[in-house]
Amino acid sequence: MGLFTPALHRQRHQFVIDFVKRKKPKKVLDLGCCECVLLKQLKFHREIELLVGLDIDGVQVKKKMHGLAPISTDYLQPSYDQLRIELYQGSVTEKDARLRGFDLVTSIELIEHLTLADVELFSEVVFGYLTPEAVIVSTPNSDFNPFLPGLVGFRHSDHKFEWTRAEFKSWAMKVCLQYGYEVELTGVGQAPPGQQERVGFCSQIGVFHRLGGKERYNMFDEDAEDVFSYTLLYSIIYPSLHDNNILRRVLMCEVVYWAEKLKRRWIAEETGERDDTYDLCQAKGEGGECFRASERHVDTEETQTACGAEMKTLVDQEKGDGELFWTHSQPDSEKWRRRVSVPLAVLWCCCPKVSVLSGSVSNLRLLLMDEPGVKLSQDGSAVLLNHQEQDLDDDEEEHRADFEDSGYAEARQCPPSAEPAEDWEANV
Amino acid sequence: MTGRARAKSRGRARGQETTAPGASLAQGEPAPPPDQGQLVGRGRQSAPGHFSAEAVLQISAGFQQVKLGERGGRRRDYNDGGVNTRMAMEHVKESKSGTSGEAIRLSANFFRILSRPQWVLYQYHVDFNPPMEACRLRSALLYQHEETLGSARSFDGALLFLPKRLQNKETLLHSETRMGEKVQITVTLTNELPPTSPVCIQFYNIIFRRILRMLDMQQIGRNYYNPKDPLNIPQHRLTIWPGYTTTILQYESAIMLCTDVSHKVLRSETVLDFMVNLRHKTGDERFIDICGKELIGLTVLTKYNNKTYKIDDIAWDHTPMNTFTKADKEVSFKDYYKSQYSLDICDNSQVLLISNVKRMGPAQGPPPGPAMLIPEFCFLTGLTDKMRADYTIMKDLDKHTKLEPQQRESRLNKFVSTLHMNTNAQAELDKWGLSFDRELLKMTGRVLPGERIFQGSRSYEFNPMMAEWAKEMRGVPVITSPPIDKWFMFHTRRNANEAMSLMQTLGKVSAPLGIRMQKAVMIEYDDQSESLLRALQHNVTPQTQMVVVVLSSNRKDKYDSVKKYLCVDCPTPSQCVVARTLSKPQALMTIATKIALQMSCKIGGELWSVEIPLKQLMIVGIDCYHDTLAGKRSIGALVASLNQSMSRWYSKCVLQHKGQEIMDGLKMALCGALKDYMKFNNCLPSRIIVYRDGVGDGQLHSVVDYEVSQILDCIKSMGHDYLPKLTVVVVKKRISCRLFSLVTGKVTNPPPGTVVDSVITRPEWYDFYIVSQHVRFGSVAPTHYNVVYDSSGLKPDHMQRLTYKMCHMYYNWQGIIRVPAPCQYAHKMAFLVGQSIHREPSMKLDDLLFYL
Repeated sequence: MGLFTPALHRQRHQFVIDFVKRKKPKKVLDLGCCECVLLKQLKFHREIELLVGLDIDGVQVKKKMHGLAPISTDYLQPSYDQLRIELYQGSVTEKDARLRGFDLVTSIELIEHLTLADVELFSEVVFGYLTPEAVIVSTPNSDFNPFLPGLVGFRHSDHKFEWTRAEFKSWAMKVCLQYGYEVELTGVGQAPPGQQERVGFCSQIGVFHRLGGKERYNMFDEDAEDVFSYTLLYSIIYPSLHDNNILRRVLMCEVVYWAEKLKRRWIAEETGERDDTYDLCQAKGEGGECFRASERHVDTEETQTACGAEMKTLVDQEKGDGELFWTHSQPDSEKWRRRVSVPLAVLWCCCPKVSVLSGSVSNLRLLLMDEPGVKLSQDGSAVLLNHQEQDLDDDEEEHRADFEDSGYAEARQCPPSAEPAEDWEANV
Repeated sequence: MTGRARAKSRGRARGQETTAPGASLAQGEPAPPPDQGQLVGRGRQSAPGHFSAEAVLQISAGFQQVKLGERGGRRRDYNDGGVNTRMAMEHVKESKSGTSGEAIRLSANFFRILSRPQWVLYQYHVDFNPPMEACRLRSALLYQHEETLGSARSFDGALLFLPKRLQNKETLLHSETRMGEKVQITVTLTNELPPTSPVCIQFYNIIFRRILRMLDMQQIGRNYYNPKDPLNIPQHRLTIWPGYTTTILQYESAIMLCTDVSHKVLRSETVLDFMVNLRHKTGDERFIDICGKELIGLTVLTKYNNKTYKIDDIAWDHTPMNTFTKADKEVSFKDYYKSQYSLDICDNSQVLLISNVKRMGPAQGPPPGPAMLIPEFCFLTGLTDKMRADYTIMKDLDKHTKLEPQQRESRLNKFVSTLHMNTNAQAELDKWGLSFDRELLKMTGRVLPGERIFQGSRSYEFNPMMAEWAKEMRGVPVITSPPIDKWFMFHTRRNANEAMSLMQTLGKVSAPLGIRMQKAVMIEYDDQSESLLRALQHNVTPQTQMVVVVLSSNRKDKYDSVKKYLCVDCPTPSQCVVARTLSKPQALMTIATKIALQMSCKIGGELWSVEIPLKQLMIVGIDCYHDTLAGKRSIGALVASLNQSMSRWYSKCVLQHKGQEIMDGLKMALCGALKDYMKFNNCLPSRIIVYRDGVGDGQLHSVVDYEVSQILDCIKSMGHDYLPKLTVVVVKKRISCRLFSLVTGKVTNPPPGTVVDSVITRPEWYDFYIVSQHVRFGSVAPTHYNVVYDSSGLKPDHMQRLTYKMCHMYYNWQGIIRVPAPCQYAHKMAFLVGQSIHREPSMKLDDLLFYL
């Protein structure tokens, strides 16, 4: 069209988005969602917890609905926010109880596709039955039409009417009166300089607010029987930390990662060796400080016997054999006992993410209790880790090592005949 | 050939007139000018009509240009379609099957695709009047006519595909834009495509991707993964998503879906987390250097879209506060992400990542610049080389991802039954009149007879099921070994004991192997890389035969400096050992045996051999290594046999220069190999067989069009009357084909020597699969061999058996390996040069397996 920058449809969507940013509605319904363009933008605004689209044309919706699915990173780093997206096929002139009580209903360039009789039904369904907190209705402003070059008749052949500003206003006022709303009339698509007063916006918009504040809709109204006239086409729940399973999984990963990290540092300190190829200037900045503190923790915990006798013996034994362990000459029978115990309290205070996720140490314990990925000490106060996961039985090592030079890199990967059967590279 | 494929085969792109010996466009149709291929077939119309034999031929030729894409259309053909090499080889036109060995019942990870009888896909050309620019608008206008077109349709902006025939050859439709503009649409039938036509097959793949999306799978790269059931390896911050690779292709017997279990490794931390961690570890000075090395070349996922980006560089002078031009306005990255995706950037001082996006800009517009990515919004995928080299990480990964044959088989069956159960997926398939077999493909293969190992006058057999002969070899002297008289052993003070016992044990084990070995001169070095280098410089002379270095840890820098010095500056065969591997007394004998063998073949010893029935034969192996770190240089390696028993090899490595094909350098290496062969045998080989490894998906074109003619050029340069028989075989390890043996009633790995040369091979190629190795864990992967050029007239059966024999000849493993030995040698050398030396090794080492 080129008449407006940004394009008019973008401006209409931006209008909704700005509203969402300001008012932070939790439940949003888009009527006539079509190819879900607006929904796709709204899904980034995670104040929204329930995002629903309705359209009479199921085929259109189905074509693009998979674009609303969570993307890979939504699974990789689940957020605290919850989001469910649902898409329905149905007519705005029919009622459906599932869509009642929303915070915001948008109807962008929709009503002009309805007959005037259907507009009446639309008003009754949206304002009288669904009774959302706010409604945004946009429709073409026919006062503006002379400015659209080459336009004869309506802007689209399917339009049943195009209202002047006065007509739109009178409909809006009637709706307010009848169903208890107040309206603010505005629009997008500025007229040429000096003409704004005379013709108004290209798209006129009414923003309706329900009177009577936050009082919820009357569930038990006279016509309280639940109607379900729409067909559910699509429903997806975004991964969220509110889902206990996801929370526990994320927490478990974080706990194991930090516990292993603390363990390695502690072992390195004990044996006086550094386990890392980057052996320069450790402990720079915050992270390093954090480690220092936590290492002390590990040490003191163990002498305080705070975590029970069992742990003390384990760690003590550790200390005694520290050196031996590096030479791999311990008798097999003792292998099972060589464990490092990392108190939950230490984890909780040195890993910010763990503390945020769990809230408190006792809650942390509770969450980890039945988690198969983590082994807790008997009293549940510490995470137990195997001292050395690298222990291979000699037999295996004998077969695996190829003794290609140096033991670096390739030498560690079994014989060339048995290259990893799994293929990592080709996937990227 | 599409414009892209054309650009790939750089021989043509540079205007060299090459006569493709493999004749990739066998129909002889003149290739269109390059830019026509770019246009997704727009404007190209061929006569419609029922398909006669010629029509089918024409269609497959036309496919070179007519390609449909999901959007935008330009994509690489990873399946190497359109390379029809078989028809140029007279002796395999009729049959490419071998005969040796015993039949074996197998199943493979293929499912047949069944379509209704008489199924035809109708291709239409769609014209808009007035012309419509935007692709979206075009589809919107066209789709206003659902009652005419039906709900099953696919339209890429110019070409429309329907499973039904419209009443008239030309259909006029009238639509209207939102602005009320009237548009006339002409839909003209241009083609009727039988199910076997390449366009149809590409089309099946698109439908299948749609179906995978319906199953809520996430697309990453070429494959689809299920994010709902992740496997976590928290200690390494890794997450694994199970998924599937899928390809639908015309195989020898039918159109089939080849699907394999795939695992995607993702990292549960952002690039920013990674950078912060790294900075703590390395310190500020080394950070920039190391960070670049670690990150460049990796693929990331972003928080705001479903695309993957490859990190090509790091913009150290850019932060989210920098601006870019968007719709004629300057916007900062921070504001852009906030307004566009409601994403807040927390760290305003992070540097940005650069990705050179390959996609083209809007029509006529200039191509967009590189994408700038915010580390905070990027997640790493895959493994770095460093992680790959980390034994503990790989072991933990294997635990989750190595599937035993029966596990793999049941997962594949589950996948296909999910497809059958899902109503949406079924509906989509029905719409197009397609369905899948419910069971894995069953077929018959052959197991080649076991080989006999020869060592001088003695020979022995080994258990073919185990595919190794370390036990059988005990006490049997090797073919020949130069006596090792003058050699050094370097060690630190701490490892003096290990070094001593290694030397004693070497003395013990070498005699029965027929390796004469004097005592080494022991030299102690301080545990620093400079002092090791100094010790080498002081002691190693041109007379030194061998240097053994006992390293105190497996740190790479020390290893690198030893190898660099002894491969380039002072060419001497060397052997490094990490002290830890020597610390177990009970394993020392085995280890010392392997080291003794390795030392021997590094100085020109010949260990064992198998019977090679062809005379005057030179076997060549080529592989390359892509060094993504050091300026993206590739390293090509060529290894060629020098004697009848395939026990001596000529090895050459070339570092590729920018914009150069790997073969340009290897051409010289091949000439060198032929001259060396002449020196050893007083004649040139009458047969040359080249095994080319390291060819990526979609690169077959360039091997066929360019490399083969380079090899021929090189042979020609040896003299006009020199006309040896030449065979070029492309070797592929990374394939999704899997074979299962059904012999015992249980699903197991097929035994070593299993050959498949029908049903799942490609009709247009002379190709076969061999399972040569034995694996102790997981499922075995067959290797795919594609003979792209063959003037030898060698029977397919002999080609297969020779290939299998060559898998026995890798001296670093007393057993059968996955690829022919020269490929593995070439790989080993390219890897050493790419990882450690970064320069061409001295030519004094050319005749030695110094890199083993």
